[in-house]
Amino acid sequence: MISDITIGQYFPGNSILHKIDPRMKIVLTFAFIIIIFLCKNFYALGVMVLMLAIMVASSKISIKVILRGVKPILFIIVFTAILNIFYTDKGETWFEYKFLKITSGGVYIAIFMAIRIICLIIASSLLTYTTSPTMITDGLERLLSPLEFMKNSVHTVAMMMTIALRFIPTLIEEFEKITNAQKARGADLDSGGLIQRSKALVPIFIPLFITSFRRAYELAFAMECRCYNGGEGRTRMKQMKLTKVDFVALFFIVAMCVAVIMLNMNFTHLL
Amino acid sequence: MDTIIKFENVDFRYEGNSDLSEPLAISGLNLEINRGDFVAVLGHNGSGKSTLAKLTNAILLPEKGRVLINGMDTANEEEKFNIRQTVGMVFQNPDNQIVATIVEEDVAFGPENLGIEPLEIRKRVDDALKTVGMYDYRLHEPHKLSGGQKQRVAIAGIIAMQPECIVLDEATAMLDPRGRQEVMETVRMLNKELGMTVVFITHFMDEAVTADRVVVMDNAKVILDGTAQKVFENIELLRSVGLDVPQVTEIAQYLSNMGIDVPKNILKTQDFVDAILKVLEVQC
Ligand SMILES: Nc1ncnc2c1ncn2[C@@H]1O[C@H](COP(=O)(O)OP(=O)(O)OP(=O)(O)O)[C@@H](O)[C@H]1O
Ligand SMILES: [Mg+2]
Repeated sequence: MISDITIGQYFPGNSILHKIDPRMKIVLTFAFIIIIFLCKNFYALGVMVLMLAIMVASSKISIKVILRGVKPILFIIVFTAILNIFYTDKGETWFEYKFLKITSGGVYIAIFMAIRIICLIIASSLLTYTTSPTMITDGLERLLSPLEFMKNSVHTVAMMMTIALRFIPTLIEEFEKITNAQKARGADLDSGGLIQRSKALVPIFIPLFITSFRRAYELAFAMECRCYNGGEGRTRMKQMKLTKVDFVALFFIVAMCVAVIMLNMNFTHLL
Repeated sequence: MDTIIKFENVDFRYEGNSDLSEPLAISGLNLEINRGDFVAVLGHNGSGKSTLAKLTNAILLPEKGRVLINGMDTANEEEKFNIRQTVGMVFQNPDNQIVATIVEEDVAFGPENLGIEPLEIRKRVDDALKTVGMYDYRLHEPHKLSGGQKQRVAIAGIIAMQPECIVLDEATAMLDPRGRQEVMETVRMLNKELGMTVVFITHFMDEAVTADRVVVMDNAKVILDGTAQKVFENIELLRSVGLDVPQVTEIAQYLSNMGIDVPKNILKTQDFVDAILKVLEVQC
């Protein structure tokens, strides 16, 4: 069901990865993703996979959970990989049938691409698994706060993101409740063509929208009652300070970056 | 006694979409609430209870008359935040008043808005969570808590702002009996031990009987106001505005009208049992 989605979910904990300052974590995750795309061969990618393995291990989050995060996009990975097989005809031919031709070069590229995407997903989900959504939005807010001219809108967007994340589980629950209620009234949601099925969703989304508006209205009241007045004059309970852990993490990523660049220069071929 | 909330001849009406003028949601209301009291507000649907609540902390402003909180007029824009800090409000649906994705971060929301120092916020959040008995859940996600627990988190979010008065608008209406019990106990404790003034809006008579004072609203007006015993004597009037009295009170009055010697204003089951035993003793 939809409630199985783990992307964007947070697992409270006390690991080293949890302790890294959210700002540092956001920046390093971005760096990691960029470096993934700089990799030109399996050796460089191997270094990244190793690094990712270290990260996963130090996050103390079970491999199962990590793999569950990859599952929903398995289809995209396989699809991209298959496309890539036919993208090149370099290397020795392994299989040929009419216009279809599978070469070693194509297969290598396909594997390379698949690993890249998986690394990308795991790296970015590690960020959300080990950082509470509020800390991520806070971190973003503070990272962007030097942009004085848009300070207010940065706060507003961060607040909106926090609230959106807060209400995702609530709305999913509500969606399921309404679906069941409509099914109990005889709504047929699982048969018919695409058009019929989308039509069947209308009586689910209309109540969902209406209750969402009511929720928004009540939440606005509740926030006002708690003296919310935009970002002005607001302090935060959790202060962000860079500590030793942050510099160690930074060091690791920089070292990895250097290793990748060296390997890229020394090996010009994929393998 | 020292008044904390004072309504002076207040009228209020919601702006309608049509040209026809809306009926008054609060009309000619005079009400004084004393510091440290536990006041229950009863009333049928649409009698104006929620409107009354929202008038107490400048969410709504009176059309006529004044609402004074510790002498501060709610119409005074400059005092708005002082007023909201003095009178905290808890609403019916716990889901719609929790802002953050982690319990302690949500409790910190109010103090953060007030611009309090981080260390002080930390202390207030921990204290508030301990007060409502949710400290062990401080790192949980609110959507995984039970209704009663969520509502206690919402109360902690208000206490962390250290208000003098807390207004609960049907805060138990969406809870199961156990959740209601938890919330009631918490609120009573706030009143007894921290001396917080409590305005408790409810539909449940058994929650109202323990209050120091009961205010009954109907049709935008206060129709009864006094101790629980005095108010629940008026069975007919309460019935006519669509409210029930506690079951024991009803039986006691019935017996009393039949000429049996039990007091008319019994509110609690135990008192009723005692009274009946006494009658039986006399007869034997
Ligand atoms: N946002 C609004 N816009 C217009 N009219 C409103 C609005 N909220 C309430 N009213 C009207 O004001 C009157 C008083 O409503 P209020 O919400 O104060 O009642 P209540 O006693 O809290 O009822 P309930 O027990 O259902 O919560 C009702 O007639 C209601 O229809
Ligand atoms: Mg109401």
